[in-house]
Amino acid sequence: MPPFRSGLNKRKTEDNSKVEEKSSYKNANEVNLLGELKTEGDNTDSEHESDEQDSDEEQDGVLFDDSGDSILDEKDQIDEGGNESSELTDSEDNDDEEEENDSQSESDSGQESGLGKTQSGSSDDSDGTEETRKRTDQKLMKKKSKKDISKGKDTKIEKEKQTEDLKNNHNKNAVEKLQKQIDASSITVQKENAVVNLTATDVAFLPLSRSSGGPLPFSHFHLPDLIPLDILSPPKGTDEYESGDTSDEEEKTNTVGEVPMHWYNDYPHLGYDLDGRRIMKPPQRDQIDEFLKQCEDPDFWRTVRDPTTGQDVILSKEDLELIARIKESRVPNSEHNEFEPWIEWFTREVMVTPLRAFPEAKKSFLPSKSEQKKISKIVHALKMGWMKTRKQMAEERRAKKERQFYDLWGSTNEEEEQRRGIHKHIPAPRRPLPSHAESYNPPPEYLLDKREMKEWNKLDETPWKRKYTFLPTKYPSLREVPSYERFIRERFLRCLDLYLAPRAIKMRLTINPEDLVPKLPSPRDLQPFPTTEVLQFKGHTNLVRSADFDPTGQYVVSGSEDGTVKVWETSTGRCLRTIDLGTSVCRVAWTPSQGLSLIAAAAGSRLLLLNPGADIGAHRVAETTDKLLEEPPPSHDVVVDERTRTAAQWERVTPEQWVRGVRIAVAHFKPVTQVYLKYLQCLHFFRAFLTSKYTKNLARDRERYAADTIEFAWHGRGDYLVVTMPDGASRSVIVHQLSRRRSQLPFNKAKGLVQCALFHPTRPFLFVAVGLDSFFFPLATKGAKKCITHIRAPIHAGSVGLKPTKKRRWNNGSADVM
Amino acid sequence: MATEVIESQVQVKFVTKQEKYAVPDNPFTVQSNVLVADLNNVLNALLKDVHPVLGKPVEFDFLLCGELLCSSLNEHIQEKGISTEDTIELEYFERFPAPSPQDCLMHDDWVSTVQANSNWILTGCYDNSIHIWTAKGKHTLAIPGHTSPVKAVSWVSLDRNQAVFVSGSHDQTAILWAWDVIGNSVECMMTCRGHEKGIESIAVSPDAKYFATGSWDTNVCLWNSSLSDEDSVPSKKRSKPEHGKSREPLTTLKGHREAVSAVQWLDNKTMLSSGWDHILKIWDCELGGMTTEIIGNKAFFDADWSPLSNSIITASADRHIRLYDPRSQENIVKMTYTSHMGWVQSVCWSKTYSTHFLSAGYDGQVKLWETRSPKTPLYDLSGHEDKVLCCDWSNPALLVSGSCDNTLRIFKAKHANHGI
Repeated sequence: MPPFRSGLNKRKTEDNSKVEEKSSYKNANEVNLLGELKTEGDNTDSEHESDEQDSDEEQDGVLFDDSGDSILDEKDQIDEGGNESSELTDSEDNDDEEEENDSQSESDSGQESGLGKTQSGSSDDSDGTEETRKRTDQKLMKKKSKKDISKGKDTKIEKEKQTEDLKNNHNKNAVEKLQKQIDASSITVQKENAVVNLTATDVAFLPLSRSSGGPLPFSHFHLPDLIPLDILSPPKGTDEYESGDTSDEEEKTNTVGEVPMHWYNDYPHLGYDLDGRRIMKPPQRDQIDEFLKQCEDPDFWRTVRDPTTGQDVILSKEDLELIARIKESRVPNSEHNEFEPWIEWFTREVMVTPLRAFPEAKKSFLPSKSEQKKISKIVHALKMGWMKTRKQMAEERRAKKERQFYDLWGSTNEEEEQRRGIHKHIPAPRRPLPSHAESYNPPPEYLLDKREMKEWNKLDETPWKRKYTFLPTKYPSLREVPSYERFIRERFLRCLDLYLAPRAIKMRLTINPEDLVPKLPSPRDLQPFPTTEVLQFKGHTNLVRSADFDPTGQYVVSGSEDGTVKVWETSTGRCLRTIDLGTSVCRVAWTPSQGLSLIAAAAGSRLLLLNPGADIGAHRVAETTDKLLEEPPPSHDVVVDERTRTAAQWERVTPEQWVRGVRIAVAHFKPVTQVYLKYLQCLHFFRAFLTSKYTKNLARDRERYAADTIEFAWHGRGDYLVVTMPDGASRSVIVHQLSRRRSQLPFNKAKGLVQCALFHPTRPFLFVAVGLDSFFFPLATKGAKKCITHIRAPIHAGSVGLKPTKKRRWNNGSADVM
Repeated sequence: MATEVIESQVQVKFVTKQEKYAVPDNPFTVQSNVLVADLNNVLNALLKDVHPVLGKPVEFDFLLCGELLCSSLNEHIQEKGISTEDTIELEYFERFPAPSPQDCLMHDDWVSTVQANSNWILTGCYDNSIHIWTAKGKHTLAIPGHTSPVKAVSWVSLDRNQAVFVSGSHDQTAILWAWDVIGNSVECMMTCRGHEKGIESIAVSPDAKYFATGSWDTNVCLWNSSLSDEDSVPSKKRSKPEHGKSREPLTTLKGHREAVSAVQWLDNKTMLSSGWDHILKIWDCELGGMTTEIIGNKAFFDADWSPLSNSIITASADRHIRLYDPRSQENIVKMTYTSHMGWVQSVCWSKTYSTHFLSAGYDGQVKLWETRSPKTPLYDLSGHEDKVLCCDWSNPALLVSGSCDNTLRIFKAKHANHGI
């Protein structure tokens, strides 16, 4: 052993001196064993012997001092040897020896030498052939190792070891002495302690082996070789060189793989090593051997058999410690410090530089949705009253405990009011404060004097006109005030009032009908309109009922009660034509069509179409009109239902009538009263042309002249006429078509008294005034009778007028004349 | 204030454009409430000194600021807002002498139209007849021929032996008549067909080659007024024996939207028409297109143009007579004459005086106007008992008017021997 190593070892041992002391005894045993082995080996391998002797002598003194160290070093070598001798036959003896050592710690070391001898003996016995083979093996390995490392040094070390062993042997007695001392000091060391001791030595040893890197090649001391510390190399039949030298090469590996080992029960070998050689089974031991081994081997308790190699493995101190730690359910790694100072890496305290660079997750600052759901459920339950807060519960409990009283004087509870539909409380009017007059002792000025008394009595019949509702009376003291004599009666009346009084506010609007009438525009805004009378059309002998302009405005036609229709020249008031129809004419209208020369006149229940003649209007137009109307169109294509036929009949015109100008006559089933408002409107418009006499007498004569008449209006194209008969019920509106001479009843039901019907001058609309309402019907789609617009005009019922549009001025020239 | 004004005096200066009545332009101080008659007296007194030749006192009219003095000087000054501090220049001229009623010619029906020339008076009547009267008021001829009321008549030419005139009627025709004056027989020379509705007015061009008609069918038609039958009329239309030959219009001027109430020639190529559609149109007859348009705000019943003053007067239903300038591009009424009580049906310029015209209204009045006196007419020629339908001053000596009372009234204008 080189001196620096021993120095190192010495330092280590000093660190844990006590352990060293304890272990020294055991090591001494080992040394002994080794020594015995070596001596044995000397015989076979003689070539190094001389060297060893020399070294022995040199190191005598040192060995004695550093016995522990040397022992350890030796042990190192022994380990190597153990490793090498995986297949050594006598390894079990070694194990036994160990067991013996541990189990009987008290037993004196004197036995050991004997044991060693026996062991060696037994190993010798095993068989010579094997030994020789082993030896050759070791030699081979040695050679290998020699290739790798500087041989000289190695051999030197080996020699030193040998000499050490020898010296150990020499100093055996001294060691034993020491051993005894130690035993005396720690006689009661238990198994556990022993384990501890063992581990302590191991721990001490491991750093040593690591640190010793410099002079020695790594291959000798690397870690895996050192860990199976306690596996002793088979003592016998092994070369000393081999044992210390080729530690890593010597690893015996069973290459059979993961097969059940009982397959090899019948074979002498267990498997094969890397070189394909058989790994022989270790010698089987019987019960007695087992027992003996148990008795002898101190390491027996920690010896287990490796099934793959079939060898006994003595668990190292580390292994034991590991097992113990697992048993105690502690962290298996002994180096793990359970009580390290805790470093709080992730604190809630915000650091300046965050440990993690990524930003906070969104969910970390969003309120939880599930929680929100839960809360909302709870809130809902609270609102619905399914759940109650503690406070409410407490209140309820308190309320239960309190005494309940029935509200005797509560006149009506709310539920009752709700049931009866009384939602609004009408407070009684606040009574005025009592005045001086109501005092029992009013000031004299409040008392009624004679005159006032007289007045009071005068208003006996109408007491509400009196100044007071009571008679101020003076009493000398309150005591003398009598009870109110009418109390009972008035209370009774009051009850009657209450009984009959309505208890709800009537939501009635107080609106004057006049307010609903739209405000009339000022006459200035309505200009141009007639302002002055400029012409009078004189000639009618009776009330003029209607007048109309021709489309150009050159002529005016008027119908009168005297049974005539007169055609006037507008500009001069010259009567150009008079057509006597016999019955009073209530309505006349010129056709709007420029291509026709026709005047429609309603005479009684008949609707007559007149041609004013060739000299009025255009000749050609008058002629064509006559031609058109001379012959009625073929009527076979017209199917007229009974209802229509009875309502209106197209009559043939007699020659006499023709000469007078009548071209078409349509008799209606019902002569009906004319609508006067329409009449008024006409008069108002043509006032300038009508004699003032009739206008003045109009209102007075209204009833008198309620003649049997019909009302009608032209369609813009002049082909259709709508006739209105207020008494016609469902057939009060009839539309006549001139070109085909047929009639239609546009409405099946009467909604009321039809007062007036009008066509829109340019667009296909029909306006009907029924009762108080005006209806508006589109004619574009045939059969569409739906009322689109419904205009309610309460004041102007019965008259529908259309504002003339720019496209077509109704009374073109004539209106402008004004 | 009023009394103060009455008390005040104004300095006036008399000026005139009539040299024979010229007076020295010394200012005179007169009372402010002086009347026209008083001024006349003052002036006549002055004239006596200057021109002792003039025996009779002359009636004068006074113009103050372009307007005829009708009321007292004071009122006129106040109305016009003239300063009384300065000397007021009063222009005076001889007053138009009052026309005197001459005759009343009875007709069978309403007299719808009248035109006089130097010797004869032509009237149209509602009984479809045309009448010719002498200027003295003697009925010469009654011409039936139209089938509807005659609405317009006009002389075309007048010779010693033969007179040609044209008449328009509501029967949509205009007939060109030739009247043999000596034989007193009339012949329907040409029936002009082309209107679709009644003819309302007729005007003959100054050179008498053409005449124009306005009708209710909104058209104005131009016709050749020659009696010869050179123009091409289809033979089948010519074959109507009762009306003689037919004639078609040279041009039809379309543009009015309502009836054409009056037509009037400005010169041989230019024509004026007025309509019920509130529009006065001036047509170029050669091009057949409209040149100027004056838009009024009332329907025009009659319009007349005077070459002397180059202005148009119109009649409307709102009792106002309006004066337009055909040259102005703006539709501005230059003057409004209001005295009629109702519908004014007819107006007629004087052929000799640029400032005088006649108007006839439905209030039965015929009024003689001076253009510088918008409020007051010079004279009211009353006498009609019904609507006056027409008036004429073609003969400067005769003021004729036809009325609904079946009469034609003739007023004789004393010929004033001056013209301005």
